[in-house]
Amino acid sequence: MNTFYALFPLLIIVAASLLVMILEVFFKREDRSYLAYLSLLFLIASAAACVKFWNKGYSYFDGNLSLSNLSLFFCSILIVATFLVILISMKYLTLHSANYGEYYALLLFALSGMIIMVSSSDLIVIFLGLEVLSLSSYALAGLRREDEKSNEAAIKYFLLGSFASAFLVFGIAFLYGATQATAIPSIIEGLKTGSSIGTLGLVGLGLVVIGFGFKVAVVPFHMWTPDVYQGAPTPITAFFSVGPKAVGFAVLLRIFIPYFQDALESQLLFGLLWIIAAITMIAGNLIALRQTNVKRILAYSSIAHAGYLMVAILAKDILGLVFYLTAYLFMNIGAFAAVIALGKKDHEYLELEDYRGIGFRYPWIGATFAVFLISLAGFPPTGGFLAKFYVFSAAVRQGLVSLVIIGVLASLVSVFYYLRIIIYMYMREPAYEVDINYDNPSLFLALFLCLYGVLQLGIFPGNILVLIRQAVAALPFL
Amino acid sequence: MAHFLFFLLAIICIASVLGMIISKDQAYNALFLIVAFVCMGGLFALLEAPFIAAVQIIIYAGAIMILFIFVIMMINLRKGVGPEKKRWTVYFAVVIAFVLIAELVLTVKGTLEPISSAAVEKLGNPTDLGRLLFTKYLYPFEITSILIIAALVGAIVLVKKRDKE
Repeated sequence: MNTFYALFPLLIIVAASLLVMILEVFFKREDRSYLAYLSLLFLIASAAACVKFWNKGYSYFDGNLSLSNLSLFFCSILIVATFLVILISMKYLTLHSANYGEYYALLLFALSGMIIMVSSSDLIVIFLGLEVLSLSSYALAGLRREDEKSNEAAIKYFLLGSFASAFLVFGIAFLYGATQATAIPSIIEGLKTGSSIGTLGLVGLGLVVIGFGFKVAVVPFHMWTPDVYQGAPTPITAFFSVGPKAVGFAVLLRIFIPYFQDALESQLLFGLLWIIAAITMIAGNLIALRQTNVKRILAYSSIAHAGYLMVAILAKDILGLVFYLTAYLFMNIGAFAAVIALGKKDHEYLELEDYRGIGFRYPWIGATFAVFLISLAGFPPTGGFLAKFYVFSAAVRQGLVSLVIIGVLASLVSVFYYLRIIIYMYMREPAYEVDINYDNPSLFLALFLCLYGVLQLGIFPGNILVLIRQAVAALPFL
Repeated sequence: MAHFLFFLLAIICIASVLGMIISKDQAYNALFLIVAFVCMGGLFALLEAPFIAAVQIIIYAGAIMILFIFVIMMINLRKGVGPEKKRWTVYFAVVIAFVLIAELVLTVKGTLEPISSAAVEKLGNPTDLGRLLFTKYLYPFEITSILIIAALVGAIVLVKKRDKE
């Protein structure tokens, strides 16, 4: 249905970020956490709009903005992710003297960019949404200006991100040249019927893969990830590892799952994505073995997870992909929240050596962190296990046995570095005192919510699966 | 006449781009780039797209070049950086260049027919462009405003003076 209501989830977020910027002027520095509460309130309102529009199928602007169930589901998990990120950053910002109101405004702008991307199937709109997301992200990465690493992160992210955007635009132009369309369904249709300029379309799709490959950090295009993740403020790292990845795969899903359906000449791209998935899983996990900085370990782990998600694309398994992204959101933000919990004024404990004996000194943080790591490694009874199980079993059904073997072996390797953190936490004597700022209620709320999410998805995944099935069933292209 | 102007502008354009690549002095590079942009503007004007021609000159030859020159002035890079010494990157660049040329040839071969036959859309004048922007492309147009404000806020956050508290 074509109605103005379809704009609401997006408008609420944009209004929130503008309001936060205006109100920042009137708040003293120590009162700025009110801005966070305000943002949380608006996020809840936007999520409520998403829930209310479920199954309604609203759209506006000639379908440029269409809130199908799948879009709404993606919007909801992105809003939940931003909600958790705001919770974990409230105290962090005061501890690291980076308490600017613009922080929340930029975070909400980034969210609005992501909502624009997942609720449209027009490549021009998707590109603009990606730029809104990217520009806010560059600034967020460099927010700790006095920290050299943060500056490095911002510069690296900006330069490589701009290149990625250039590749993407170039690809979109090629696709337009090949099919005279910018809407994804018409592009796929054009590529399947018109054979005369097939090469042009293939090059275009390849460039689009490169552009989004940078954003979701799959292996030949992952170089920026560890440095950016290490240098950016930790809550922002949590945001980077979840948000852009989710939207990147949401767009790749829209393009490649219909394209791989009964397309004969897609063998080349299929092989390309196969190779990308395989080397992402292998390289991500192998390089992670050698890291000693926890943020870098989590960075390489997120690269490896991009590989598993790519397997889901190749297996044409939308259900598995969306479930994986949902589980990944909770376990990854949870893991970063635990890392943030181990911090005090102007200092974070990020080296593996710092984690000696944490499990006994801070039993709650240690235990929840262990659960998240176990989930990332893919053990039952956590969400991470079921997510991997769904994706890999769908891939076997599609006959991608060798890819699944690579994936399972790679995740066996990953068990080593996830468990190593747990071993340090529980089986090593502490070498020195680690004292942390324990007075951080919002962070513990976030930890609890993530723990709940991981266990709920691992033990009773039924509710979420029903929702995802509804979302997938209403897809226009299937 | 149009053909003559086209080839004149195209040759100047290519020559100045080559000059930009070959010259080592940053300020000359910037000047060569301006010449190339102006020629591009002229080419758009020949294609009966006056608006795009004007925008090309105002935005690229004007605004963006001013930015470049400011950066060159501030970083004080008159000498420039020497050419890359690593051999394999040169070979790699040559391969990529050939791939791009092949791509270009394929593209031209693939699209030569439709362009000569199909009626070229008259998109160059401001009225049509404005009408399209506010009807078919209203949503992308509005998103651009979010994009600009996000960029502005981000830039200000990164450079503004911090109050010591």
